[in-house]
Amino acid sequence: MKKLESSLTNMLLVLTIVSVVAAFLLAYVNNVTSGTIAKINEEALSSGIKSVLNIGADEQIETNEKPVDAFVVYEVSRDGNWVGTAVKSTDKSGFGGDIEVLVGFDAEGNILGYEVLKHAETPGLGARMGEWFRTATSGETKEVSAVSKVFFGKPDPAGSHNIIGRNIGNEGELKVSKDGGDVDAITASTITSRAFLNAVNNAYKVYKGNASDVNSGATTQQ
Amino acid sequence: MNNWKVFLNGLVKENPTFVLLLGMCPTLGTTSSALNGMSMGLATTFVLICSNIVIALLKNLIPDKVRIPAYIVVIASFVTLLQMLMQAYLPSLYASLGLFIPLIVVNCIILGRAEAFAAKNTAIPSLFDGLGMGLGFTWALTLLGAVRELLGTGAVFGFTLLPSSTNMLAFVLAPGAFIVLGYLIAIVNKIKK
Repeated sequence: MKKLESSLTNMLLVLTIVSVVAAFLLAYVNNVTSGTIAKINEEALSSGIKSVLNIGADEQIETNEKPVDAFVVYEVSRDGNWVGTAVKSTDKSGFGGDIEVLVGFDAEGNILGYEVLKHAETPGLGARMGEWFRTATSGETKEVSAVSKVFFGKPDPAGSHNIIGRNIGNEGELKVSKDGGDVDAITASTITSRAFLNAVNNAYKVYKGNASDVNSGATTQQ
Repeated sequence: MNNWKVFLNGLVKENPTFVLLLGMCPTLGTTSSALNGMSMGLATTFVLICSNIVIALLKNLIPDKVRIPAYIVVIASFVTLLQMLMQAYLPSLYASLGLFIPLIVVNCIILGRAEAFAAKNTAIPSLFDGLGMGLGFTWALTLLGAVRELLGTGAVFGFTLLPSSTNMLAFVLAPGAFIVLGYLIAIVNKIKK
């Protein structure tokens, strides 16, 4: 078959047909996959909520979802009793874009756990926040030269970077040691650490502002 | 026989990464680990094969002056399909690679092969060209990712091989990508001679 000539009609016709066929194909696949995608996201969220509140994966919970500005508050109860609140908090000042974390609080406002839901931080550096802030320190600091700092990274500092069990209400906002706080930033990822802690601090504020509404059950609120 | 030659051409002789130096953005951006590099390569291979076949079939129906927009629509459709399918059926892979999937649209290997090969050949050789180029891209990215992962974190495909005292952070970051790529191209050139 000879190649179609580049006349105006041909060009318009071909581009329109190609685009329409592509649009129908995409609409069809979107239709097929959107249900599955929504289900996966929902499951990821519900397992995240269970994990930040230390609830077993098989246990049945009821979740009451409440959007507060850009945050989402999930009040979780088991058998009608309130067991904890998870707050989804986003910080826009990450190194690679938005950092979305889910933070779980108990009645006293202690941090029960956290889960990083979405981020675009550097793999091997900022991306370690998923583990870093729940593990205690790794030991002593040794002296290193400036060159090996760049190539080998600083050894983990001797302070603490575990935020589980901390209470922002009693101890003040969490800050990295560079900003005068007592949480050690991830080695070579201060920006990520700052953004992460900011998201956690904001989650606490939203949790507190919302706490008076949590009234379902045995646990009393302060 | 001819198809075999076309396949090998992409895999070795005209390897898109080490010889043609095409698609450098995903090459440098996604190879922070061997697994990420390999996944990106395989995703690109899928899009490359599909777009090559479709463009080879449609080449006579598309007037010359609108071929580029028509090709882009075809390529972008396959990329979006891949993104939706991955999100639905391979969520863990999507979580680590999702950011880079839309970038396949502007990967010049794909448009380059559409122009240089699929627009001049029939569907079957185009399929082999897509397969060869795609797998050539995949092994190059996997190798690059493995070296960077080994030097940067002491592991390959997540299996730790070196103690953490030998980890060189720089190799996980962008400068390491350039350094490793430069050395690998030099080695490949040496071997080819």
